[in-house]
This record gives sequence, structure tokens and C-alpha cells, in this order.
Amino acid sequence: MKYLYVGATPEVDPDALAFVRDVALANFGAPVRQMELSGIDFAYDANRNQYGSIPVLEMLARCAPADARKLLAVTERDLFIPVLTFVFGQAQLGGRVGVVSLARLRQEFYGLPPNCEVFQGRAVKEALHETGHMFGLVHCADRTCAMSLATNVRQIDMKQAAFCAACAARLPARGELS
Amino acid sequence: MKTHWQILVVDDEEVMRESLAAWLREDGYLVDTAESGREAVEKATQKDYAIYFVDLKMPGGMDGIETMMQIRRKYADASIIIITAYATVDTAITAMKEGAQEYIVKPCNPEEISLLVSRIVKVKNLQRENSILRKKLSRQYRFQDIISKNARMHQILTLAHDIAGLRSTVLIQGESGTGKELIARAIHNSSDRAQKPFVAVSCAALAETLLESELFGHEKGAFTGAGERKIGKFELASGGTIFLDEIGDISPKLQVDLLRVLQERCFYRVGGQEEVRVDVRVIAATHVNLQQAVADGKFRDDLFYRLNVIEIRIPPLRERRDDIPLLARHFLERLAHELGKDVDEICEDGLKALMDYHWPGNVRELENAVERAMVTCHGRALTADDFAFLAQNGHTKSWTPPPGMNLQEMEKLAIIATLQRTGGNIKESAGILGVDRSTLYEKIKKYEIPR
Repeated sequence: MKYLYVGATPEVDPDALAFVRDVALANFGAPVRQMELSGIDFAYDANRNQYGSIPVLEMLARCAPADARKLLAVTERDLFIPVLTFVFGQAQLGGRVGVVSLARLRQEFYGLPPNCEVFQGRAVKEALHETGHMFGLVHCADRTCAMSLATNVRQIDMKQAAFCAACAARLPARGELS
Repeated sequence: MKTHWQILVVDDEEVMRESLAAWLREDGYLVDTAESGREAVEKATQKDYAIYFVDLKMPGGMDGIETMMQIRRKYADASIIIITAYATVDTAITAMKEGAQEYIVKPCNPEEISLLVSRIVKVKNLQRENSILRKKLSRQYRFQDIISKNARMHQILTLAHDIAGLRSTVLIQGESGTGKELIARAIHNSSDRAQKPFVAVSCAALAETLLESELFGHEKGAFTGAGERKIGKFELASGGTIFLDEIGDISPKLQVDLLRVLQERCFYRVGGQEEVRVDVRVIAATHVNLQQAVADGKFRDDLFYRLNVIEIRIPPLRERRDDIPLLARHFLERLAHELGKDVDEICEDGLKALMDYHWPGNVRELENAVERAMVTCHGRALTADDFAFLAQNGHTKSWTPPPGMNLQEMEKLAIIATLQRTGGNIKESAGILGVDRSTLYEKIKKYEIPR
């Protein structure tokens, strides 16, 4: 039996993790397990005051359990790759591990009053997006599909928390995963 | 359209290089990496990269600007984006002067890179589409546009319609001017490839070496005069249909190359080492009897069988005379509009002149005849007088021997045709051919003509 694992770094609110686990990962029709992850201070870049997503993926690849088909990590830390100012998340395309950052999904980040519903919606969409990459999906031209590329929260908000028919068809059938 | 374009990321810093490559791969592009300018230039010769991301500062004596210049010298249409950690006006100006498409400062906003790449790809797609559109005739034919009430033609159209959705190779045989390309286009436009290119190539028009580079493209410097890399018709037709007209005229070497494309679905550009894979439906056409060419050893039998998966034989116009009035009226109507001439009818005697003519040039000749008659006529209806030039044509039109045929082969064909026309009557045939009966018997024996 292979599981979809979801794990959060220590600073993540358990409610947010539970939401990602129960709403996003349930879409894949495979049994989901939760695991604890250590902090990602090792990936901290003082010059940028951000955390490198590549060392995080490397750490996840090392600590993924043997029975993990995929492992999605959730963190509050703001992630980056060297060439970009930030990333909402990153995953190995067709690989086993991925990470989603919640930092830029909150309204507070943009100086707006908190909105739990908006935040949770964005978290689910980004979790679907990165997990889709782990299953080999690339960006979709359909702006409402969870696999469309979002480079700002407006674009995340335009998406639905679901895959378009074309992307859904490329995912493994439900029976194959359970 | 994305996966069509390949990107090369050039940076000496591994984490920089690999993270950008991974990010672009998530966007659906095929991405390669190079850790030095030298490696980038080397890789550029092996693959067609549409976009290069090149880091400005690289060690080893070859920085980003130098790398860009070397790549652009060979591939002028490559789009190069220079990346740098330090934005100075000077370097930006130098980069742009040397032909960089864009200049980005890292770290860069993801939105900026995403827009940049999609803008370049949009332009590349448009350029590609434009070059295809320019190269193909702008006419889009469908089966409904083919005019015929002839039963044999209807059978052919039904067959062509039925096989349109398949990927199988089609061989269309028919005399010049019978509308082989029209049928090929109709097949293409009824298939699921209709939105993809239809590329027509006349194999008879070009010399062997030119045809080879026309079909498969060539690399820069592959031969004298090959100043730039050229994409061949097979690549231009990618995802669509290639129409190889006058296939019977291609050289033995090209026959081998073509066989390979049909079997393996891949080829090499002239002077190239990179295997190019294509998904192209092949429709071939010929006015010569390919089966005969195979029997005579002039056309490879394995290629013939590969091409002849579905065979369509279009009858010459003289064998479907019932279509002549229909087609003539169709051309009259269309040309009246195009020429701005107030002619709307063909008289009885005019029609009789058309029916009596033997139409060696088939439908194309009929179209030209109607146009010529309309240009010179004075009334509102075309008369026999307006078609008087046809009678002259019949006598004065110079006869040309079928290509690639020697005197003996022509003699053999002349005897076969005469015997068929006389129903195998030796006396009558000998009379028509102007030889005595014993000579005719000798020749029948010599050429092993079945009776």
C-alpha cells in the first residue's frame, strides 16, 4: 500500500494542515497519512530573509517514508528559488516530493484584513497544484484549472479548487492509487 | 504549442541553473541546461532551442555576451534572454546592442519571466504559422467543393472521405490536371489534422539535392550556399499532412530516405546529426503508373507498398465526360465574377465542342479553356467559335514523352494501348500502327505483351 503523505513544519497551524489534508489531498482518491516534519531553518537565506525551496525538497526526499507515494509539505515560511523573488510552492515534476508556502496566501501579507475563507481556498488550490506537478502535470492554459500558473494571488483566486477535465484525465485513475 | 519549443538555460551556478530549468519545465517546456558558454554553443548545434536564458557572468573566458554572440552568429532567430545579478545600464545596453531579446535582473518576479517567455513563444508561434501560411496555397478545399456527378468519382470521394480520419499513407494516381492535390487537400481538411499544416511539394520541379534539402531541411554549412539552417517541408508539416506530388520522379537515393521516414517517422536534416521525429501524414501522387515503374525496376517496390496503403485512382476527364458541362458551368460562374465579365451561358454548340475534345490536360485544361474563351468572347454566351482554339490545340499541341521512358518502353505502351482499343484485333492494330502483322506479332512476343 502506498500513501499520499502530508506534513507540516512546526510553525503551521494544525487547522490549516487539516484543511489541506482533508480537502485537497482527498481529491486524489488515495489513502492519506500525516507526518511530522522538522523546521526548515537550514534553508534560510539571510540576504533575502527567505527560505530556499530546493534544499527543502532535498530534505523531504530524504525523510519521505518508504510507503509514501508522494509527500507534500506545508510551511509558513516564504520560499524562493535563486532566480525568482519568491515561489508559492515547488514540486519535483513527476517526482515524490513537493512543498507549499502559506506565507503569501494570507490577506495580511498584502496589508488587508484577515479572511480565513480566502486563505483556506488558496491553500487548497496551491496544494492541488503542487501535488498535480508530482503526478507529472504541467501548467494548464485553462485559467480556472488548479494547474494553471499563478504568479500572484489574484490568479490563484481565479482558479477553482479542482482540475479541468483534461488535467484530471492525465492523473492516475482512482483505482490505481488506492 | 508549448512543448514544441525548447529552452536552454546557461549558468555556471548549478542551483541557479537547475531551479530555473525546473520552474520552466513545470510550465510545460522542454528544458536543457549548460554550465558554460562553450557547452551552450555546443548544445545549440545539436538541438533547435527557441529561447536561451544566459547568465551574464560566467568564468572560463566566455561570458554571457560572448556566448550570445556565438549562438546568434549561427542561429540568427534564436531569442536570448540575458540574466544578471547586477543591473547596470552599461551591461544592459551592451546586451541589447548585441541582440539580446530581453535583459532580466535576478531575482526576478515570477510574473515577469512568465510573461516574457509567453510573449516570445507567442511571436515564435506566429512566425511559424506565418511561414506555413505563406508556403501553402491559401485555398482550403473540402469534399463538397469537388464537383462531379460521375459514379466513379463519387466512389472515390466516398473512399477519400472514409479514410480521411486515418493516418495511413495514401497514393493518388491520375493524369496531370485531374485534381490530385484537390483530393489530397480535401482528405486533409476532413481529417483531425485539419487545423495543422498541409504542405505540398512537387517532387518533379527540383533537382535531387535541392529536393532533399527542401523535404528534410539542412544545417548551416551543409553545402555551398547553405548560409542558414533551413527547416524542411516534413518539419513544417508537423502534425499535419505532406503532399508529395509527382512521387514517381524521385531519385533512388531519395526513395531510400523517404522509405525511412515512412517506416521510422524520423529523418536527419542534410548535414545534420540530430534525428528529427515527425508526426506527418503522407499523401503521395503520381501521373505515371507506379506499378509499372516498380516492374521496370525504376521505383523501389518496398516504397511503393508503403505508399500504396490506400490507393485512389482519379479517372481522366475524357473518361467522365458527363462532368464536362457541370465543370464548365462552374468555371464560367466563378470566372465571370473574377474577371468581371458579363458572360453567363455556354451555347449548345459550345458545349458540343467541349464534349468532343479529348482533354489531355484534364480539368485544369478545361478551366483554362473556359477562361480563355471568356476573355476573348464578345456576347453573353460562349459559342463553338469561342472554343475554336481547342481544335488547333488538338493538332499543334506538342507531344512530350512520359518522363523516364525510353523508346522501347514507349513502343511497348503504344502496342498495348492500340490492342486495347481494337479489342485485341491484330490486323486492325497493325494497320493503325503502320506495321505489317508479322512485325506486330514479333514485337508482342519480344515485349511479352499478354493477349
